[in-house]
Amino acid sequence: MLVLGIETSCDETAVAVVQDGVTIRSNVIGSQIEQHRPYGGVVPEIAARAHLELLVPVLDRALAGAGVGYPDLDGVAVTVGPGLVGALLVGVAAAKSLALACDVPLIGVNHLEGHVCATQLASGSLPVPMAALIVSGGHTSLVLLRADGRLQTLGATIDDAAGEAFDKVARVLGLPYPGGPEIDRLAREGDPAAIAFPRALLHDGSWDFSLSGLKSAVVRELRRRQAAGVATWAPDVAASFQEALVEVQVAKTVDAARATGVDTVTVVGGVAANSRLRAAMAAACEAAGLRLLLPPAALCTDNGAMIAAAGHNRLVAGERTALDVAADPNLGLAPLPLPPLERSRT
Amino acid sequence: MLVLALETSTAQSGVALANDAGVLAAATLGAQRGRAHAEFLAPAIAFCLARAGAGIPDLTAVAVGLGPGLYTGMRVGIATAATLAAARGLPAVGIASLDLLAFPVRHARRMVCATVDARRGELFWAFYRPSPGGVQQVTEHRVGPVGKLAGELSALGEDVLCVGDGAVAHRAALESAGADVGAGATDHPTAQALAELALPRLRRGEGGPPGSLRPVYLRRPDARINPPAPILVTVPPGGGEGNR
Repeated sequence: MLVLGIETSCDETAVAVVQDGVTIRSNVIGSQIEQHRPYGGVVPEIAARAHLELLVPVLDRALAGAGVGYPDLDGVAVTVGPGLVGALLVGVAAAKSLALACDVPLIGVNHLEGHVCATQLASGSLPVPMAALIVSGGHTSLVLLRADGRLQTLGATIDDAAGEAFDKVARVLGLPYPGGPEIDRLAREGDPAAIAFPRALLHDGSWDFSLSGLKSAVVRELRRRQAAGVATWAPDVAASFQEALVEVQVAKTVDAARATGVDTVTVVGGVAANSRLRAAMAAACEAAGLRLLLPPAALCTDNGAMIAAAGHNRLVAGERTALDVAADPNLGLAPLPLPPLERSRT
Repeated sequence: MLVLALETSTAQSGVALANDAGVLAAATLGAQRGRAHAEFLAPAIAFCLARAGAGIPDLTAVAVGLGPGLYTGMRVGIATAATLAAARGLPAVGIASLDLLAFPVRHARRMVCATVDARRGELFWAFYRPSPGGVQQVTEHRVGPVGKLAGELSALGEDVLCVGDGAVAHRAALESAGADVGAGATDHPTAQALAELALPRLRRGEGGPPGSLRPVYLRRPDARINPPAPILVTVPPGGGEGNR
């Protein structure tokens, strides 16, 4: 079964062709980073315009890369939310048109469910049950993929997403957008214990996150030092900020895995490419006897293959999305059917 | 020739299916149900095909309204048209919404000013002169406050018929400038007018690849450059572009 996946919820115009929910035949991402860089973040109207411009070239390249034609497709999957509404609508309109043109079923996918399904592409099957930390520029959520295949939100950020915090701190340090890779690189030369930044909600007993206070603490500390005439070594700021953020993310993820009784953990989303988060999560999971699945960075960031994989699972379970579906910028999680691969083993 | 025409660049959405003999089927979602373009469009295409007893494989071309108008609506129409054209290998034609407003009043025997409400107290507009079989665009597409258009109308010193939801929203100002404002059927660009205008172009072989369908925004995106906070830090040599 060949499913084409379309993802346009934020600033990546992504289309992929995935076979049987696990084999990536092509995975094309049209990046808009250069267009948003001058603004230090994603500008919704610029994103929507760029999606429309990139749509057909990315579609063409995804099909050519997979070595298939439009008539070979068996289904079209598309992110219907959550995300930027103007951006989502370009992908949703394209997916509906493609479903009509090729006379194949349409399946709408939740972006977060797509992220979790990156593990299916990396591991060959969707491991259940599992705790997943989804960290990106738009999301910071801890979700449980239950044994019955349902996705359940355990906690989420109550203010900024982790990627947002990276971008904001990078801006303060005079680093270019996107800030994640820049902070990651700079932090390697710094001392993570140099400045004690707050660990918000670390011991509050919830699995929620708060990141706006951390960003403000960085700005406050830098201003205080500037006023006091104290020189500040930027790598120390980057390393200390990153350590504060990572420590909370790791502690809550491991705690959630223990509390829900799962033995497998994954980290997905753009921030999952952060080297300190990967290392700290690996060490904590090993100490706690948990299996950690870390999909390659290319599958962690927004891509069409994860949407195709999630769509495949739902199509195989007999689900279809009507052609009048709307994009939903605030879409919540709905039950995720178990993929047949895993089901046949249990 | 069987052309599918999609026009979703204002609060009204429309789909029409037409051949050389005329429109076979059409569906319209009124402006009162505005901004539901995305939900309406694909089912409306299926409806028109079914009513005309045709299928997707029977289509020979796609036409779409390019705006100016509601950006989201424009993008839904163009993404739908471009994807369909790409998937079926069909030629595509894009026509501006203002042309579609002027064309149905080509028998007015006077200058026509086509307008689309641009929100924020502004309009999109262009002037057209009736010509044999259609209209001739005589000014470029513009965006601006109603006062600017009123000034152009006064300066013209000619009998002008204004059509479109922009003129309806600013009726008083345009009438004070001496123009007539049409009403009712001329408020929104229609898919039927699009099909009528697209067919001769397609017959002349003027259809292009899907990538040739480019929206007419007339405005730059709203975006502010956030200056970095001026905090002095020391960065290692070659370590990014930080303020040293």
